[in-house]
Amino acid sequence: MPDAAELRFRLRRFAAGAAFYTVILGFCGVVLFPVYWMIVNAIQPLSYGMQFPPPLVPQELSLQPFATLFENFPVTRWLVNSLILATMTTLIVLALAVLGAFAMTFLRWRGKPAFGLLLLMTQMLPEALVVIPVYAMYRNLGLSDSLPALSLIDAAFILPICIWVLKNAFDSIAEELYEAALIDGCTPLGALLRTLLPLSAPGLVAVSVVAFFYAWNEYLFAVTLVTSPDIRPVAVGLASLKVMLDTPIDRVLAAALFFSIFPVIFYLLIQRYIVAGLSAGAVKG
Amino acid sequence: MLQSGMAYLGEDGAARRRRQGPERRNSLPYLLVFLIVAYLTVFILFPITQQFLTSFSNNIVGIDRVQWVGLRNYERLIADDDFWFAVRVTFVYMLFVVAGSVALGLASALLLNRAFRGRSAARSAIAIPWAFPEISAVLVFLWMCNPTFGVMNVFARAIPGIDANLNWLSDPNLALPLVIALSVWKAFPFTFLVILAALQAVPRDLYEAAQVDGASRLQQFRLITLPEITPTLMLMAVLISIFSFKQFTLIWLTTGGGPYGGITETLVLRIYQTAFRFFDLAYGATLGVAGFLIVLCLTLLFVYAQARLDRARSR
Repeated sequence: MPDAAELRFRLRRFAAGAAFYTVILGFCGVVLFPVYWMIVNAIQPLSYGMQFPPPLVPQELSLQPFATLFENFPVTRWLVNSLILATMTTLIVLALAVLGAFAMTFLRWRGKPAFGLLLLMTQMLPEALVVIPVYAMYRNLGLSDSLPALSLIDAAFILPICIWVLKNAFDSIAEELYEAALIDGCTPLGALLRTLLPLSAPGLVAVSVVAFFYAWNEYLFAVTLVTSPDIRPVAVGLASLKVMLDTPIDRVLAAALFFSIFPVIFYLLIQRYIVAGLSAGAVKG
Repeated sequence: MLQSGMAYLGEDGAARRRRQGPERRNSLPYLLVFLIVAYLTVFILFPITQQFLTSFSNNIVGIDRVQWVGLRNYERLIADDDFWFAVRVTFVYMLFVVAGSVALGLASALLLNRAFRGRSAARSAIAIPWAFPEISAVLVFLWMCNPTFGVMNVFARAIPGIDANLNWLSDPNLALPLVIALSVWKAFPFTFLVILAALQAVPRDLYEAAQVDGASRLQQFRLITLPEITPTLMLMAVLISIFSFKQFTLIWLTTGGGPYGGITETLVLRIYQTAFRFFDLAYGATLGVAGFLIVLCLTLLFVYAQARLDRARSR
């Protein structure tokens, strides 16, 4: 039988807990409201969105927004284009980032600080600073309107960050393992392939996700270098919905929802590697 | 994490041994680095150099003969009120996005820096905007801010004194704050994740000792937490200032620099407009060189913040 003092103590603890959870829920609610609002408008009949004030909770569910989205817009085309673009970007970035991070971590050479500074510099450059000359260069070389060419410039911009993230993964591998592989007769690149890469799988996954969704989300280069509607990637396709002001909002937001699902899932899965990679100067965005 | 910090200060035995080893004169690292530098040169350094050269010419799309005009573009730059206005908008935008993201990131990290049921769910929930594609964010944001049907007006009208719909992005007083709010929404979850990780790395025994000495919670925060995470906060400030300086998509697709008079037009947007709408390649390049100099300063700041972080970590 608890006495009065203990009861008061318990009550106060309960009140503090309730207040804490209210704050947490309220905060998460405000942060997630735009996401919630997107989902609501993408799964209810259009008429509910087109009234004021709009109901804050969905009154009726409907798959019509998604159906009309896929009917009226080349959504699968955009999806395929973005998959091609992002896969190529990821492959280029993986190949170069592995070599770069390997040189930064396990090899000795002069000029490491200068190389690090170069990476930092390029990581900080706004895309808009080079988009004009790149546009001119691509036009002169006949490279505009090509997904492989677009993936080359996307890869260049995300490469520095990926080198930092991977370097951080390599840093946690014991020096002795690499040396043991050398003593066993591996060449340095053989040791990289057989010993280091299998041990840094999470880092490789993190880098792949970062590179993949950079190309998936990238807008400025894509909209400048791609003019033909046939090879539009997702970002440009989505933005074109915004430009067509008469596009009903339900399918616009259905598209926004559809193309957000993959990045959100993958980023949440790899977040801790990105955060850890920061110690070496890595950051997304 | 510790390792990378140690490497700057002194070499451990293995590293010293390896340096004296047989691979000292190996050409492999140079080959690998050459590959990467060559790649970055073709796609980034070469275009930048071209911009630099173009800024000394009179290159406008459609012009017959491109000539060198010396410093004329730079003279124009210094006298250009629109340029200085864009610089001002850029810094106001950067300042508020950095302050907002770091403050909100710190506040939410402190809130979640304790054990409670549902903590990892809350953590993931707050991380979502970071993972959310910019264009999707823009689309839903535009709809929320729609003057006729937008849900923002539902909330605004709940405030006493507001009984007409606001125009949001077309309102010159609201456009910049709204773009800043959208950018903070996109940026703060990242600072939250990093600051939370830093908070959890603060040694527990420091707090235990402080409690024994009778320090209040506020004192613990001021005397232990804050000094421990200051390097991280600095790094976040620098990273978010880079994020906001680079930002194109979030501003371009919401206000396009408007509603009028370039109220939300940052330097990056101005460069794009000058080249792709006014077709003035030479002057666009000149603006680009100005932007490049700002990036250079930010890089130095970053190196400084990073060095402090490494020093703090290796203590």
